[in-house]
Amino acid sequence: MNAHPQYVEDFELYELGVLDGDDKAEFEAHLAGCAECRAKIASARTRVAKLALAAPPSEPPPAARERILESFRARGPQPRQAIQPAPARRGFWSPAWAWTFAAACVILLAAAVWLANTNLRRSKRLADLELSHQQLETSNLELKATAARAQTVLDILSGPQTTQVALSPASTPPVPHGKAFYNRDKGLLFYTANLHSLSSDHTYELWLIPTVGNPVDIGIFNTDTQGNGQVILTTLPQGLTAKAFAVTIERAGGVPAPKGPMVLVGPVS
Amino acid sequence: MTGHEPVRRESDEGLIRRILSGDEVALGVLYDRYGGRVYSVAKRILQDDGAAEEILQDIFHQLWRNAAAFDSARGALGSWLLLMARNRSIDRLRRRIPAATEEVAATLHGPGLDIENAVAANEMTERVREALRALPEAQREAMELAYFEGLTQSEIAKRTGDPLGTVKTRLRTALASLKAELGE
Repeated sequence: MNAHPQYVEDFELYELGVLDGDDKAEFEAHLAGCAECRAKIASARTRVAKLALAAPPSEPPPAARERILESFRARGPQPRQAIQPAPARRGFWSPAWAWTFAAACVILLAAAVWLANTNLRRSKRLADLELSHQQLETSNLELKATAARAQTVLDILSGPQTTQVALSPASTPPVPHGKAFYNRDKGLLFYTANLHSLSSDHTYELWLIPTVGNPVDIGIFNTDTQGNGQVILTTLPQGLTAKAFAVTIERAGGVPAPKGPMVLVGPVS
Repeated sequence: MTGHEPVRRESDEGLIRRILSGDEVALGVLYDRYGGRVYSVAKRILQDDGAAEEILQDIFHQLWRNAAAFDSARGALGSWLLLMARNRSIDRLRRRIPAATEEVAATLHGPGLDIENAVAANEMTERVREALRALPEAQREAMELAYFEGLTQSEIAKRTGDPLGTVKTRLRTALASLKAELGE
């Protein structure tokens, strides 16, 4: 653990968001292990809060008051909400488990779709005697082909011999980036490339930023030696629509709310 | 507004408790007490009426979503509102993802900012403004870039053309002066 901050004003500098680079990293590393300094942050925060009073006075438009009261009336008072994230994410979603689970879900989903379609077609055939046996066979073959294709996609994504390749413009250093395939109702596939490896006491954490409310933790991951990482989810927290996703660096095991530096962010268009 | 005078003199905690039981008048009082200051910070940072009003709406929305947390923490609400006003405005200015409700818990345990009473608030306002005015210009400029534009020390150095070490010293000196003037 590094030493106490050399300057007592560094607590305010931290609260102001002025510290950056190594200064910030060292300060945060020290805070993580020093209860005495964490207690000092609170009074620094109040001193920074006072500076708001220096803003030139400005009156909000009169209609703003009514708009705020109106939305209060519409919603009513709410107790503090606890958003229930998808269960058993942390530590469970090692890549092997995630792939197996995702594969099982897709196969089950394909099977369910196939069964539902088959039942529908059989009912129609009974009701409509002109539907020929030939048409039914063709439809079944098409569905089987779809399921097989889905399986092939999964095999490529999850196969032990499959490698991820990150492409960047030639002669530039590779930059960290990520890509998410987001379906509000079905889940999320998320990949990253060129993220640097973290020490064992840190982890990357993926956040869903909903259109309303605070960022929700949806997974932690580490990277392989090529800097690749992934998070696969087949259920997302209920009732949320994402407006963005972000990745931060946090202490190992993850945290309930983002604290660490953000390394990747992307808005949902 | 006759009949509402006792509510207007209620403490923040009293107003919060009323809000939790659906008292719209209490929310209006809280808005009258703090809305102007929240709006002023947002307007100064974002330089846009519409954006400032959106921040104001967002913060009051956050307030009543987290109202239960404030019903017994003296002075925490004022501190929280002013911190949120600045932080959310900077987040928007710099297109950053806002931090989470950890801010609420973190503010509750600190020394509060007692600006419930308009007279006390105005006195403190004057002291803050005077303390900033009294700073040497370079220090005041650095503080304004840090506070109202959310720049980091490296960004301030780049903006002013000064060495990073100079910027750090200026900010630390300014903060030390402000602490001496305004108290712990």
